[in-house]
Amino acid sequence: MDELKKELFAYVKENTFKETDSLKSDTKIFIEGVFDSMGFALLLDFLETKFQIQAEDSDLVEENFESIDAIADFIVRKNPELV
Amino acid sequence: MSKPKFSRDILKIQDMETLIDQLCTRIREDITVRHKRYGAVIGLSGGIDSSVCMALTARAIGPEKMLGVMMPEKDSSPDSEELARELAAKFGVRVIKEVITGALDGFGCYARRDQAVKDVVPEYDPSTHKMKIGIKHEGKGSKLPPLFHLTVVNPDGSETVKRLPSLQMRTIIAASNFKQRSRMSLVYYHAEQLHYAVIGTPNKHEVAQGFFVKFGDGGGDLFPIGNLYKTQVYQIAEYLGVPKGIIDRTPTTDTYSAEQTQEEFFYEFPHDIMDLLWYAYENDYDPAEVSPVMGMSAEEIERNYRNFERRSETTEYLRTPPINDYIFI
Repeated sequence: MDELKKELFAYVKENTFKETDSLKSDTKIFIEGVFDSMGFALLLDFLETKFQIQAEDSDLVEENFESIDAIADFIVRKNPELV
Repeated sequence: MSKPKFSRDILKIQDMETLIDQLCTRIREDITVRHKRYGAVIGLSGGIDSSVCMALTARAIGPEKMLGVMMPEKDSSPDSEELARELAAKFGVRVIKEVITGALDGFGCYARRDQAVKDVVPEYDPSTHKMKIGIKHEGKGSKLPPLFHLTVVNPDGSETVKRLPSLQMRTIIAASNFKQRSRMSLVYYHAEQLHYAVIGTPNKHEVAQGFFVKFGDGGGDLFPIGNLYKTQVYQIAEYLGVPKGIIDRTPTTDTYSAEQTQEEFFYEFPHDIMDLLWYAYENDYDPAEVSPVMGMSAEEIERNYRNFERRSETTEYLRTPPINDYIFI
Protein backbone atom coordinates (compact mmCIF):
# COMPACT_ATOMS: atom_id res chain seq x y z
CA MET A 1 0.00 0.00 0.00
CA ASP A 2 2.84 2.39 0.87
CA GLU A 3 4.47 1.73 -2.50
CA LEU A 4 1.15 2.38 -4.22
CA LYS A 5 0.69 5.69 -2.41
CA LYS A 6 4.26 6.65 -3.27
CA GLU A 7 3.48 6.13 -6.96
CA LEU A 8 0.31 8.19 -6.64
CA PHE A 9 2.19 10.99 -4.88
CA ALA A 10 4.78 10.99 -7.66
CA TYR A 11 2.07 11.14 -10.33
CA VAL A 12 0.15 13.97 -8.66
CA LYS A 13 3.30 16.03 -8.08
CA GLU A 14 4.40 15.55 -11.68
CA ASN A 15 1.02 16.37 -13.21
CA THR A 16 -0.49 19.22 -11.21
CA PHE A 17 0.22 22.88 -11.87
CA LYS A 18 -0.28 23.70 -8.17
CA GLU A 19 2.52 23.73 -5.62
CA THR A 20 2.63 20.41 -3.83
CA ASP A 21 4.84 21.12 -0.79
CA SER A 22 1.85 20.83 1.53
CA LEU A 23 0.28 17.86 -0.28
CA LYS A 24 -0.63 15.06 2.13
CA SER A 25 -2.24 11.69 1.53
CA ASP A 26 -5.54 13.01 2.89
CA THR A 27 -5.49 16.37 1.04
CA LYS A 28 -8.79 16.82 -0.79
CA ILE A 29 -7.24 17.13 -4.24
CA PHE A 30 -10.32 18.37 -6.09
CA ILE A 31 -11.40 20.85 -3.41
CA GLU A 32 -7.86 22.22 -3.27
CA GLY A 33 -7.83 22.55 -7.05
CA VAL A 34 -4.90 20.17 -7.53
CA PHE A 35 -6.69 18.78 -10.59
CA ASP A 36 -9.33 20.19 -12.94
CA SER A 37 -11.45 18.29 -15.50
CA MET A 38 -8.48 17.60 -17.76
CA GLY A 39 -6.40 16.55 -14.76
CA PHE A 40 -9.16 14.19 -13.64
CA ALA A 41 -9.45 12.61 -17.10
CA LEU A 42 -5.67 12.14 -17.26
CA LEU A 43 -5.62 10.70 -13.73
CA LEU A 44 -8.23 8.10 -14.72
CA ASP A 45 -6.20 7.16 -17.81
CA PHE A 46 -3.11 6.78 -15.63
CA LEU A 47 -4.86 4.64 -13.01
CA GLU A 48 -6.48 2.38 -15.61
CA THR A 49 -3.23 1.83 -17.48
CA LYS A 50 -0.80 1.63 -14.60
CA PHE A 51 -2.89 -0.47 -12.20
CA GLN A 52 -4.87 -2.50 -14.75
CA ILE A 53 -8.25 -1.43 -13.44
CA GLN A 54 -11.42 -0.24 -15.12
CA ALA A 55 -13.24 2.69 -13.54
CA GLU A 56 -16.96 2.35 -14.26
CA ASP A 57 -19.28 5.37 -14.30
CA SER A 58 -20.68 4.26 -10.94
CA ASP A 59 -17.14 4.42 -9.49
CA LEU A 60 -16.78 8.12 -10.30
CA VAL A 61 -17.79 9.40 -6.88
CA GLU A 62 -15.98 11.63 -4.41
CA GLU A 63 -15.38 8.81 -1.93
CA ASN A 64 -13.12 7.06 -4.48
CA PHE A 65 -11.12 10.03 -5.70
CA GLU A 66 -11.11 12.80 -3.10
CA SER A 67 -7.54 12.14 -1.88
CA ILE A 68 -4.51 9.95 -2.45
CA ASP A 69 -5.68 7.75 0.45
CA ALA A 70 -9.10 7.34 -1.19
CA ILE A 71 -7.60 6.60 -4.61
CA ALA A 72 -5.24 3.99 -3.15
CA ASP A 73 -8.16 2.26 -1.37
CA PHE A 74 -10.17 2.35 -4.59
CA ILE A 75 -7.35 0.79 -6.62
CA VAL A 76 -6.86 -1.99 -4.11
CA ARG A 77 -10.60 -2.72 -4.08
CA LYS A 78 -10.52 -2.93 -7.88
CA ASN A 79 -7.33 -4.93 -8.07
CA PRO A 80 -6.64 -6.73 -4.75
CA GLU A 81 -3.51 -8.35 -6.18
CA LEU A 82 -1.74 -5.03 -5.81
CA VAL A 83 -1.24 -5.49 -2.04
CA MET B 1 -24.03 51.88 -2.31
CA SER B 2 -25.73 48.80 -0.90
CA LYS B 3 -26.54 45.88 -3.15
CA PRO B 4 -30.14 45.45 -4.30
CA LYS B 5 -32.04 42.64 -2.65
CA PHE B 6 -31.49 39.42 -4.61
CA SER B 7 -34.56 38.44 -6.64
CA ARG B 8 -35.54 36.54 -9.77
CA ASP B 9 -36.00 39.88 -11.56
CA ILE B 10 -32.60 41.24 -10.73
CA LEU B 11 -31.36 40.89 -14.33
CA LYS B 12 -34.36 42.62 -15.87
CA ILE B 13 -33.19 45.60 -17.91
CA GLN B 14 -35.01 48.62 -16.47
CA ASP B 15 -34.32 51.28 -19.11
CA MET B 16 -33.96 49.42 -22.39
CA GLU B 17 -33.86 52.48 -24.66
CA THR B 18 -30.97 54.05 -22.74
CA LEU B 19 -29.03 50.79 -22.69
CA ILE B 20 -29.51 50.28 -26.44
CA ASP B 21 -28.36 53.87 -27.08
CA GLN B 22 -25.26 53.35 -24.96
CA LEU B 23 -24.43 50.06 -26.67
CA CYS B 24 -24.91 51.53 -30.14
CA THR B 25 -22.84 54.64 -29.41
CA ARG B 26 -20.02 52.46 -28.13
CA ILE B 27 -20.22 50.06 -31.10
CA ARG B 28 -20.08 52.99 -33.52
CA GLU B 29 -17.09 54.53 -31.74
CA ASP B 30 -15.22 51.25 -31.50
CA ILE B 31 -15.65 50.51 -35.20
CA THR B 32 -14.98 53.95 -36.62
CA VAL B 33 -12.85 55.80 -34.07
CA ARG B 34 -10.92 53.11 -32.27
CA HIS B 35 -10.49 50.57 -35.07
CA LYS B 36 -10.85 53.05 -37.95
CA ARG B 37 -12.92 50.71 -40.09
CA TYR B 38 -15.72 51.55 -42.54
CA GLY B 39 -18.19 48.94 -41.33
CA ALA B 40 -18.57 45.53 -39.72
CA VAL B 41 -18.62 41.85 -40.66
CA ILE B 42 -20.35 39.26 -38.52
CA GLY B 43 -20.63 35.49 -38.72
CA LEU B 44 -24.31 34.51 -38.52
CA SER B 45 -25.25 31.19 -36.94
CA GLY B 46 -28.99 31.68 -36.64
CA GLY B 47 -28.51 31.73 -32.85
CA ILE B 48 -29.57 34.40 -30.40
CA ASP B 49 -26.12 35.90 -29.70
CA SER B 50 -25.02 36.60 -33.28
CA SER B 51 -28.55 37.78 -34.09
CA VAL B 52 -28.58 40.37 -31.32
CA CYS B 53 -25.05 41.50 -32.18
CA MET B 54 -26.10 41.95 -35.80
CA ALA B 55 -29.27 43.85 -34.88
CA LEU B 56 -27.36 46.16 -32.52
CA THR B 57 -24.58 46.83 -35.02
CA ALA B 58 -27.02 47.48 -37.85
CA ARG B 59 -28.74 50.03 -35.62
CA ALA B 60 -25.39 51.55 -34.61
CA ILE B 61 -23.76 52.03 -38.03
CA GLY B 62 -26.50 51.33 -40.53
CA PRO B 63 -27.26 47.98 -42.20
CA GLU B 64 -25.66 49.13 -45.47
CA LYS B 65 -22.27 49.09 -43.70
CA MET B 66 -22.60 45.50 -42.57
CA LEU B 67 -21.98 42.09 -44.05
CA GLY B 68 -23.37 38.90 -42.53
CA VAL B 69 -21.59 35.66 -43.37
CA MET B 70 -23.26 32.28 -42.96
CA MET B 71 -20.71 29.47 -42.83
CA PRO B 72 -22.43 26.10 -42.73
CA GLU B 73 -20.65 22.77 -42.97
CA LYS B 74 -21.94 19.26 -43.38
CA ASP B 75 -22.88 18.83 -39.70
CA SER B 76 -24.78 22.15 -39.49
CA SER B 77 -28.51 22.21 -38.93
CA PRO B 78 -30.37 23.43 -42.06
CA ASP B 79 -32.54 25.58 -39.75
CA SER B 80 -29.52 27.78 -38.99
CA GLU B 81 -29.28 29.13 -42.55
CA GLU B 82 -33.01 29.73 -42.85
CA LEU B 83 -33.12 31.67 -39.58
CA ALA B 84 -30.00 33.68 -40.42
CA ARG B 85 -31.50 34.68 -43.78
CA GLU B 86 -34.76 35.72 -42.13
CA LEU B 87 -32.84 37.86 -39.64
CA ALA B 88 -30.65 39.54 -42.26
CA ALA B 89 -33.69 40.27 -44.43
CA LYS B 90 -35.57 41.80 -41.51
CA PHE B 91 -32.72 44.19 -40.64
CA GLY B 92 -31.68 44.88 -44.24
CA VAL B 93 -28.18 43.44 -43.89
CA ARG B 94 -26.49 41.87 -46.92
CA VAL B 95 -25.74 38.23 -46.29
CA ILE B 96 -23.54 35.73 -48.08
CA LYS B 97 -23.01 32.00 -47.68
CA GLU B 98 -19.61 30.35 -47.56
CA VAL B 99 -19.72 26.57 -47.17
CA ILE B 100 -16.67 25.48 -45.14
CA THR B 101 -16.96 21.70 -45.54
CA GLY B 102 -14.11 21.62 -48.09
CA ALA B 103 -11.81 23.68 -45.87
CA LEU B 104 -12.58 21.40 -42.93
CA ASP B 105 -11.88 18.33 -45.07
CA GLY B 106 -8.55 19.90 -45.96
CA PHE B 107 -7.66 20.35 -42.30
CA GLY B 108 -8.62 16.73 -41.62
CA CYS B 109 -11.27 17.95 -39.17
CA TYR B 110 -13.74 15.12 -39.84
CA ALA B 111 -11.15 12.37 -40.36
CA ARG B 112 -9.26 13.17 -37.14
CA ARG B 113 -12.49 13.46 -35.13
CA ASP B 114 -14.03 10.28 -36.59
CA GLN B 115 -10.91 8.23 -35.89
CA ALA B 116 -10.97 9.33 -32.25
CA VAL B 117 -14.67 8.41 -32.03
CA LYS B 118 -13.94 4.97 -33.55
CA ASP B 119 -11.18 4.42 -30.97
CA VAL B 120 -13.87 4.57 -28.29
CA VAL B 121 -16.90 3.16 -30.19
CA PRO B 122 -15.49 0.90 -32.95
CA GLU B 123 -18.87 0.42 -34.68
CA TYR B 124 -19.19 4.19 -35.32
CA ASP B 125 -19.59 4.92 -39.02
CA PRO B 126 -20.01 8.63 -39.83
CA SER B 127 -22.18 7.83 -42.85
CA THR B 128 -24.80 6.04 -40.76
CA HIS B 129 -24.20 7.14 -37.15
CA LYS B 130 -24.28 10.56 -35.50
CA MET B 131 -22.14 11.73 -32.61
CA LYS B 132 -21.79 14.40 -29.97
CA ILE B 133 -19.79 14.94 -26.81
CA GLY B 134 -20.84 16.60 -23.59
CA ILE B 135 -20.09 16.88 -19.93
CA LYS B 136 -21.68 14.55 -17.46
CA HIS B 137 -21.97 15.85 -13.94
CA GLU B 138 -21.70 13.35 -11.15
CA GLY B 139 -24.67 14.91 -9.38
CA LYS B 140 -25.12 18.67 -9.43
CA GLY B 141 -22.64 20.28 -7.06
CA SER B 142 -20.33 17.24 -6.92
CA LYS B 143 -16.80 18.19 -5.89
CA LEU B 144 -15.38 16.05 -8.71
CA PRO B 145 -14.79 17.98 -11.93
CA PRO B 146 -17.13 16.95 -14.76
CA LEU B 147 -15.86 14.53 -17.41
CA PHE B 148 -16.63 14.47 -21.12
CA HIS B 149 -18.72 11.62 -22.47
CA LEU B 150 -19.19 10.57 -26.07
CA THR B 151 -22.67 9.77 -27.37
CA VAL B 152 -22.98 7.85 -30.62
CA VAL B 153 -26.50 7.76 -32.07
CA ASN B 154 -26.94 4.41 -33.83
CA PRO B 155 -28.95 4.03 -37.08
CA ASP B 156 -31.91 2.63 -35.08
CA GLY B 157 -31.94 5.74 -32.88
CA SER B 158 -30.48 4.03 -29.81
CA GLU B 159 -27.49 5.65 -28.13
CA THR B 160 -24.11 4.32 -27.05
CA VAL B 161 -22.60 6.49 -24.31
CA LYS B 162 -18.98 6.12 -23.21
CA ARG B 163 -16.70 8.16 -21.00
CA LEU B 164 -13.98 9.70 -23.15
CA PRO B 165 -10.35 8.86 -22.41
CA SER B 166 -8.33 12.07 -22.28
CA LEU B 167 -6.52 11.56 -25.62
CA GLN B 168 -9.74 10.99 -27.56
CA MET B 169 -11.44 13.85 -25.71
CA ARG B 170 -8.65 16.25 -26.65
CA THR B 171 -8.56 14.98 -30.24
CA ILE B 172 -12.31 15.39 -30.77
CA ILE B 173 -12.32 18.88 -29.26
CA ALA B 174 -9.18 20.00 -31.12
CA ALA B 175 -10.49 18.66 -34.45
CA SER B 176 -13.95 20.19 -33.94
CA ASN B 177 -12.38 23.55 -33.11
CA PHE B 178 -11.25 23.75 -36.75
CA LYS B 179 -14.87 24.71 -37.41
CA GLN B 180 -14.84 27.87 -35.27
CA ARG B 181 -11.31 28.80 -36.36
CA SER B 182 -12.11 28.32 -40.06
CA ARG B 183 -15.15 30.54 -39.66
CA MET B 184 -13.13 33.26 -37.96
CA SER B 185 -10.53 33.04 -40.73
CA LEU B 186 -13.22 33.56 -43.38
CA VAL B 187 -14.85 36.41 -41.49
CA TYR B 188 -11.47 38.17 -41.35
CA TYR B 189 -11.01 37.58 -45.08
CA HIS B 190 -14.18 39.56 -45.74
CA ALA B 191 -13.34 42.15 -43.08
CA GLU B 192 -9.94 42.86 -44.62
CA GLN B 193 -11.35 42.92 -48.13
CA LEU B 194 -13.95 45.51 -47.13
CA HIS B 195 -11.80 47.31 -44.52
CA TYR B 196 -14.42 46.42 -41.93
CA ALA B 197 -14.11 45.35 -38.26
CA VAL B 198 -15.20 41.93 -37.01
CA ILE B 199 -18.00 41.70 -34.48
CA GLY B 200 -17.33 38.96 -31.93
CA THR B 201 -20.47 37.39 -30.48
CA PRO B 202 -19.65 35.77 -27.11
CA ASN B 203 -21.92 36.72 -24.21
CA LYS B 204 -20.89 37.21 -20.59
CA HIS B 205 -21.09 33.53 -19.64
CA GLU B 206 -19.16 32.36 -22.65
CA VAL B 207 -16.38 34.83 -21.88
CA ALA B 208 -16.32 34.31 -18.11
CA GLN B 209 -16.68 30.52 -18.14
CA GLY B 210 -14.50 29.91 -21.17
CA PHE B 211 -17.18 28.51 -23.47
CA PHE B 212 -15.52 29.62 -26.69
CA VAL B 213 -12.68 28.57 -28.96
CA LYS B 214 -9.56 30.67 -28.58
CA PHE B 215 -8.90 32.46 -31.90
CA GLY B 216 -12.16 30.91 -33.13
CA ASP B 217 -15.54 32.19 -32.00
CA GLY B 218 -13.60 33.91 -29.20
CA GLY B 219 -12.07 36.18 -31.85
CA GLY B 220 -13.20 39.53 -33.15
CA ASP B 221 -12.48 43.24 -32.76
CA LEU B 222 -15.30 44.09 -30.35
CA PHE B 223 -17.69 42.03 -28.20
CA PRO B 224 -20.90 44.09 -27.94
CA ILE B 225 -22.67 41.57 -25.66
CA GLY B 226 -19.56 40.39 -23.80
CA ASN B 227 -20.88 41.90 -20.56
CA LEU B 228 -24.51 40.91 -20.93
CA TYR B 229 -26.16 37.89 -19.37
CA LYS B 230 -28.01 35.58 -21.74
CA THR B 231 -31.29 36.57 -20.04
CA GLN B 232 -30.54 40.19 -20.99
CA VAL B 233 -29.55 39.20 -24.54
CA TYR B 234 -33.04 37.68 -24.90
CA GLN B 235 -34.65 40.86 -23.53
CA ILE B 236 -32.76 42.94 -26.11
CA ALA B 237 -33.71 40.46 -28.85
CA GLU B 238 -37.41 40.92 -28.02
CA TYR B 239 -37.04 44.69 -27.95
CA LEU B 240 -35.17 44.90 -31.27
CA GLY B 241 -37.58 42.55 -33.01
CA VAL B 242 -35.31 39.58 -33.64
CA PRO B 243 -37.44 36.91 -35.39
CA LYS B 244 -39.40 34.69 -33.02
CA GLY B 245 -37.94 31.52 -34.55
CA ILE B 246 -34.51 32.61 -33.28
CA ILE B 247 -35.76 33.67 -29.84
CA ASP B 248 -37.69 30.44 -29.31
CA ARG B 249 -34.88 28.18 -30.52
CA THR B 250 -33.04 26.20 -27.85
CA PRO B 251 -29.37 27.32 -27.86
CA THR B 252 -27.34 24.57 -29.51
CA THR B 253 -23.67 24.06 -30.22
CA ASP B 254 -24.41 23.18 -33.90
CA THR B 255 -20.99 21.55 -33.97
CA TYR B 256 -21.58 17.80 -33.90
CA SER B 257 -23.67 15.64 -36.22
CA ALA B 258 -26.11 14.74 -33.41
CA GLU B 259 -28.24 17.56 -32.02
CA GLN B 260 -26.95 19.00 -28.81
CA THR B 261 -28.01 21.84 -26.52
CA GLN B 262 -25.48 24.18 -24.92
CA GLU B 263 -26.77 23.09 -21.52
CA GLU B 264 -25.90 19.48 -22.39
CA PHE B 265 -22.47 20.35 -23.71
CA PHE B 266 -21.22 22.78 -21.14
CA TYR B 267 -23.64 24.44 -18.76
CA GLU B 268 -25.23 22.56 -15.90
CA PHE B 269 -28.40 24.64 -15.79
CA PRO B 270 -30.81 26.36 -18.17
CA HIS B 271 -29.48 29.82 -18.95
CA ASP B 272 -31.96 31.73 -16.76
CA ILE B 273 -30.93 29.74 -13.67
CA MET B 274 -27.25 29.90 -14.60
CA ASP B 275 -27.49 33.69 -15.05
CA LEU B 276 -28.95 34.24 -11.60
CA LEU B 277 -26.44 31.96 -9.91
CA TRP B 278 -23.57 33.61 -11.74
CA TYR B 279 -24.85 37.10 -10.88
CA ALA B 280 -25.10 36.11 -7.22
CA TYR B 281 -21.58 34.66 -7.29
CA GLU B 282 -20.07 37.61 -9.12
CA ASN B 283 -21.69 40.13 -6.80
CA ASP B 284 -20.84 38.21 -3.69
CA TYR B 285 -24.37 37.55 -2.45
CA ASP B 286 -24.63 35.50 0.72
CA PRO B 287 -25.79 31.96 -0.19
CA ALA B 288 -28.35 32.26 2.61
CA GLU B 289 -30.01 35.18 0.77
CA VAL B 290 -29.86 33.46 -2.63
CA SER B 291 -31.07 30.08 -1.40
CA PRO B 292 -34.83 30.79 -0.93
CA VAL B 293 -35.03 32.74 -4.21
CA MET B 294 -33.48 29.90 -6.20
CA GLY B 295 -35.17 27.08 -4.28
CA MET B 296 -31.78 25.49 -3.56
CA SER B 297 -30.04 24.88 -0.25
CA ALA B 298 -27.37 27.36 0.84
CA GLU B 299 -24.84 24.50 0.59
CA GLU B 300 -25.83 23.90 -3.03
CA ILE B 301 -25.42 27.60 -3.81
CA GLU B 302 -22.02 27.56 -2.11
CA ARG B 303 -20.96 24.50 -4.14
CA ASN B 304 -21.97 26.26 -7.35
CA TYR B 305 -19.92 29.32 -6.35
CA ARG B 306 -16.89 27.02 -5.94
CA ASN B 307 -17.60 25.44 -9.35
CA PHE B 308 -17.73 28.88 -10.96
CA GLU B 309 -14.49 29.82 -9.25
CA ARG B 310 -12.85 26.65 -10.52
CA ARG B 311 -14.20 27.13 -14.04
CA SER B 312 -12.97 30.74 -14.17
CA GLU B 313 -9.54 29.64 -13.04
CA THR B 314 -9.19 26.68 -15.38
CA THR B 315 -10.30 28.71 -18.43
CA GLU B 316 -8.13 31.75 -17.72
CA TYR B 317 -5.74 30.50 -20.43
CA LEU B 318 -8.46 31.06 -23.03
CA ARG B 319 -8.96 34.70 -22.04
CA THR B 320 -5.26 35.48 -21.80
CA PRO B 321 -3.89 37.28 -24.86
CA PRO B 322 -0.39 36.35 -26.04
CA ILE B 323 2.03 37.31 -23.27
CA ASN B 324 4.14 40.17 -24.49
CA ASP B 325 6.02 41.57 -21.52
CA TYR B 326 9.34 39.95 -22.32
CA ILE B 327 11.19 43.16 -21.56
CA PHE B 328 14.70 42.46 -20.33
CA ILE B 329 16.82 45.24 -21.82
